[in-house]
Amino acid sequence: MRALIILVLITEFWRIMSAPDEDNHAQVASHFFGELLDSVIMDVASECHRIATLGLDRNLDDEEEELRLSAQARARVADPSNSEANSKYVVDIFGQTHPAVASEIFDCMNCGRSIVAGRFAPHLEKCMGKGRKARVKATRSSTAAAAAQNR
Amino acid sequence: MSCSLSSESNHALLHTKTQIGHEIAVDIQRSELYCFACDDQVYDPDFDRAVMLEKIVGLGNENLKGIRSINNKRKRLGFDGGLSSDFKNLKRVGGSGGGEWDHGRRLSKSCFPVGLRGLNNLGNTCFMNSVLQALLHAPPVRNYFLSGRHDRDSCRKNSSDRFCLSCDIDVIFSAVFSGDRAPYSPAQFLYSWWRLSENLACYEQQDAHEFFMSVLDRIHEKEGKTRNTNKDNGECHCVVHRAFSGLLRSDVTCTTCGYTSTTYDPCVDISLDFNTNVDHISPNKPQKSTDLGVSTLTSCLDLFTRPEKLGSDQKLYCQNCQERHESVKQMSIKRLPLVLCLHVKRFEHSLVRKASRKIDRHLQFPFSLDMTPYVSSSIVRKRFGNRIFAFEGDEAECSTNFEVFAVITHSGMLESGHYMTYLRLNEQWYKCDDAWITEVDDEVVRASQIYLVFYAQKPNSSHKSGEDGGCHLRSSPSGDSFVSIAGCC
Repeated sequence: MRALIILVLITEFWRIMSAPDEDNHAQVASHFFGELLDSVIMDVASECHRIATLGLDRNLDDEEEELRLSAQARARVADPSNSEANSKYVVDIFGQTHPAVASEIFDCMNCGRSIVAGRFAPHLEKCMGKGRKARVKATRSSTAAAAAQNR
Repeated sequence: MSCSLSSESNHALLHTKTQIGHEIAVDIQRSELYCFACDDQVYDPDFDRAVMLEKIVGLGNENLKGIRSINNKRKRLGFDGGLSSDFKNLKRVGGSGGGEWDHGRRLSKSCFPVGLRGLNNLGNTCFMNSVLQALLHAPPVRNYFLSGRHDRDSCRKNSSDRFCLSCDIDVIFSAVFSGDRAPYSPAQFLYSWWRLSENLACYEQQDAHEFFMSVLDRIHEKEGKTRNTNKDNGECHCVVHRAFSGLLRSDVTCTTCGYTSTTYDPCVDISLDFNTNVDHISPNKPQKSTDLGVSTLTSCLDLFTRPEKLGSDQKLYCQNCQERHESVKQMSIKRLPLVLCLHVKRFEHSLVRKASRKIDRHLQFPFSLDMTPYVSSSIVRKRFGNRIFAFEGDEAECSTNFEVFAVITHSGMLESGHYMTYLRLNEQWYKCDDAWITEVDDEVVRASQIYLVFYAQKPNSSHKSGEDGGCHLRSSPSGDSFVSIAGCC
């Protein structure tokens, strides 16, 4: 399609240029520039018109609103006088308070010992023989035992 | 609209006045229709389809795959019937008079939603607690376990494995939804997970996303053995896949001939790179020199679905050209999951420098997310100038509107950070910081450093009652308080 347009433009160009009038040439040049510019503008306008008419455009108002709310939120939370966001917990919504280390006690399902909840994971690691600490401890004690034996 | 031969002439307009029924003209340069009666550019599906077919003839069969006449009746998406049966079970549970289920949609302040219970930190286990809180409130997962779909007794009898994460999660669901508000210790779950994930078992801070993927894997493995996975073209019907599984489409286009090859891959989440190329500047506020612009979750999704020129060292073999050429890759979402988990890649691991770092940058995210611009039909249509044409198995049958229900945040440093979950129940946000459950305003959540965001599909309100593809829940005419997909209680 574009080829057809270019062909028509070139035909018109030669028709005008073949006339001997020199002053006309500047006019012709600007005429063609105008045509090309119009074409480019129409391309963009057509694309945008299609997007808008078919309802494919993103709701920019909503997006602006979301960004505004986000900026507002960050400002309020960063404000040192805002106690709600930065306060330490006193009670939770059920009116309960909790220690820094969970104090519930239950039995380890691997070895059966009673363990404090907040220390369960480190205990379990050693109990299951996993992790660096468990292996390092074994090495130390076996080295110590070997050293004791060798004395 | 003007004539190409002479821009001053209005013979096109005159023609329509003399010839009745000749109001439509064609812009041959752009292949667009113009109506002199409407005095505007107009759009027609049949015309677009004709244009499309002209354009893609010769590009190979792959591109023709998706094009069908929109007059053809669409095969109704055979959605998993298991989901609707979930709700039949749920009705029974609700009807039997469990007090917690009779709550109306708007709860009074003194009456907190069910399923809200702190989880004790067992020693650097906030990564586990935060993921559990999100799972506890993912609607399909919650409904599955609360309606007793995982029978612990028969699971124990029929399985030789000593450890089953589904059984452990079932126990947690019972405990958390029991009404008891004292913090619960998910010790058995931790133990089972360590026993099943040898390589990750150690007393160290774990990555919450890695943990989440690992849990989904373990549950799927177990259920995959017991459930029939060969029904419905190989799709898995275990609870995690029904909740989180979607389908990604990858299009690779040869830059030389335009031939596109398409592949589909299932996914349970979408990992997003930070989009540092931010161009949205608010027109009203003066910009500080240090202000780099705000990064948004939607811009990360834009980046994910943007056409990406593959490097010259990654030349792919083009079937059409019969040789290797440079190509362009573009991702899109073919099928959206019921629960969309978006993972923000904040932790960069550089193999070269053998170091990791955390990106602390704030990421704005919407409470309501419309995934329309990122689905395959939208992306492919955009590639062809937004022409109107029907897509095989158009995703429009499923809702593209999502509502956030859980956000996992990470604060602090890479090695010594802290995970927390914000849950949205009945339009109120709750902060779940291990054992501590507190109420917070929208603002606190908006300002937080998001790491994993969980969205639930909103039911399509425009669906007529007879036509649902099973993607949403109809409310019972008797007004029973069904647990809807995008809410709670």
